[in-house]
Amino acid sequence: MTSSTKRKIINKFVLSLSTIFAIIGVAFLFWILFVLLKNGFSALSVNMFVEDGAPPGTEGGGLRHAIVGQLILAVGATVLGVPIGILAGTFVREYGKKSQFADLIRDLSDIMMSAPSIVIGTFVYALLVAPTGGFSGYAGITALAIMMIPIILRTTDDMLGLVPNSLREAAIALGAPKYKMILDVVYLGARVGILTGILLGIARVAGETAPLLFTSFNSNFFETDLAEPIASLTVTMFNYATSPYEDWQSLGWGAALILAGFVLGLNILGRIWLSFHHITRKKILKKRKR
Amino acid sequence: MATVDKINEEIDLEVKNFSFRYAGSETNSLKNVSLPIAKNKVTALIGPSGCGKTTLLRSLNRIHDLYHGNKYFGEIKFEGHNILDENEDLIHLRTRIGMIFQKPTAFPMSIYDNVAYGLKLQGVRDHKILDGKVAEALKGGALYDEVKNRLHDDADSLSGGQQQRLCIARAIAVEPEILLFDEPTSALDPISTIAIESLIKSLKDKVTIVIVTHNMQQAQRISDYTAFMYLGELIEFGKTSKIFSNPDEDLTKQYISGKFG
Repeated sequence: MTSSTKRKIINKFVLSLSTIFAIIGVAFLFWILFVLLKNGFSALSVNMFVEDGAPPGTEGGGLRHAIVGQLILAVGATVLGVPIGILAGTFVREYGKKSQFADLIRDLSDIMMSAPSIVIGTFVYALLVAPTGGFSGYAGITALAIMMIPIILRTTDDMLGLVPNSLREAAIALGAPKYKMILDVVYLGARVGILTGILLGIARVAGETAPLLFTSFNSNFFETDLAEPIASLTVTMFNYATSPYEDWQSLGWGAALILAGFVLGLNILGRIWLSFHHITRKKILKKRKR
Repeated sequence: MATVDKINEEIDLEVKNFSFRYAGSETNSLKNVSLPIAKNKVTALIGPSGCGKTTLLRSLNRIHDLYHGNKYFGEIKFEGHNILDENEDLIHLRTRIGMIFQKPTAFPMSIYDNVAYGLKLQGVRDHKILDGKVAEALKGGALYDEVKNRLHDDADSLSGGQQQRLCIARAIAVEPEILLFDEPTSALDPISTIAIESLIKSLKDKVTIVIVTHNMQQAQRISDYTAFMYLGELIEFGKTSKIFSNPDEDLTKQYISGKFG
C-alpha cells in the first residue's frame, strides 16, 4: 500500500467518524426539540395565556402569571444589568486598558460567568431575602442581573477592542474630548456587537431556574408587585413538571415550549440583526463596484 | 550637528530642542530636534523607517497623549506659547491643528455626519450653518461633486481615495490653522494619490501643512521645505529645491540618491 492510499483511507475513516458524531450530537438536539414540540403543542391552549395558576385538583388554570412574571424578571434584569455591564466593559477597555485593575475585573467576570448559578441565587438570598424576611421580585431581578453583567461586560470589552485605534485617534484629532470619542465614534463602531451581547445575555438568564429558587421564589398568582414573590416560567415549569397532577404536567410542557420559543426567538432576532447588517454592507460593496 | 537653514518666512510653529520618549522606552525616540514650520507652506518630513518623522508629526497635535507614559522635552511654540505645557488645552489645540492619517479613518456614519462631526463638537447646531459648512468643506476637499447627491449615504460606500478626501474635508471643516498629514497617500492608488497631492497644494493658501512621506518624489512635487531625519535626529532642513539638488550633509545626499533607506 502506498503512503498516499493509506493517507486517503485514514482520511475517510476519521471523516466518517466525525460525521457520525456530529449527527449524534445534532440528533439529540432534534430529539429534545421534537419531544418538546409534540408535548408542548398538545398542551398549548388559549386558556394558558389568559388564566393564572389553579389550585391542584381543580380544572383549568394557565400560565399568564408565569409569562408576565418571567417578562418582568427579564426586563428588570436587563434594565439593571445592561447599563452596569456596558459601563464596566467600557471602563475596562477604554480607561483601564492593560492595568492590573482592569485585568482583575476581566478575570473576575470570567470566573463569574462560569460560577454555578445556584451559588449566585444563595448569595442574593443572603443579601436581599434573609434580611428583608421574604422572597421578592427585586431579589430575582438582582440575581439575574448579576448573571448578566459579566456576559455583557466581556462582550462590550471585546467588541470595543475590535474598533481600530485609528478611529479613536481621528476623533481625538478633531478635538473630541475622550467621553465624546467613546460615545460618538467607538460605540457606533461596536454597536452591532454590543447589541448582540445584550441579546445573548438576556437569552442566557431567561432560561435560569436555580438563581430564582432562592430569590423570586414562585407564586401561583398574578403578581406585578416586585416586593412580593413572583412567578417565572422556569420555576413554574420545574414545579409543575415534578407534580403528580396530569394537567399540571401538561402546563409544564407548555411553559417549556413558551420559554424555548422566547430564548430561540431572541437568538434568531440577534442573528437576523447581525445578518441584516451584513446584507446592507454587501449592498454598499456592490454599489461601490458598479 | 544638523544643518538648519534660516528661512525668510512667517513662522507658524517652532520646534525647539525637542525630544520625545515613548512609554516604557529607555531612550529618546527624538533627540533635540529644532526646526521652523513656515506659515502657508508645505513642509515635508522625510527619512527612512523608524527615523522619528511620524513621532515628530504626532507630537505637533500631542496625539501621543492618548496613550499614557509618553514624555515630551523641549518646546514647540505655536501662537506665542509652548504647546507642550502641562496646562495646554488639548481640545482647543487639536481644533487648531488638524490631522490626516495614513489609512482613511471615516467614521461609521454618513458622509454628511462625518464632515459635520468636528463642527458639532464645537457646538454648531444650526442646520443651515451646518449644511453650508459641510458643502464648503467637501468642496475644499475636492469631493463635493462626487457625493453631493448622496450626502446621507454611509461613508463606507466611498472608495479609499474618496474616504481620504472625506477625512481632509472633515479636518478643514473646523478651519484649522495647521494640517498634519501622516503619509496620506501610502494606502492609495496612483490616481487618488495625484488627487490628494493637488488638493494639498491648493490647501496651502489657507492652512500650513506638514506632511510625512516615504516617497521622495512626492516630497519634491508638493513641498516648499523639507526636513530630513535619521535615527531620531534632524539631519538637515531647508528649501525642498536645495535639499534635493544640493544638500549640505553627506547623509542627506546618500539618502536622496537612494544609497540607504
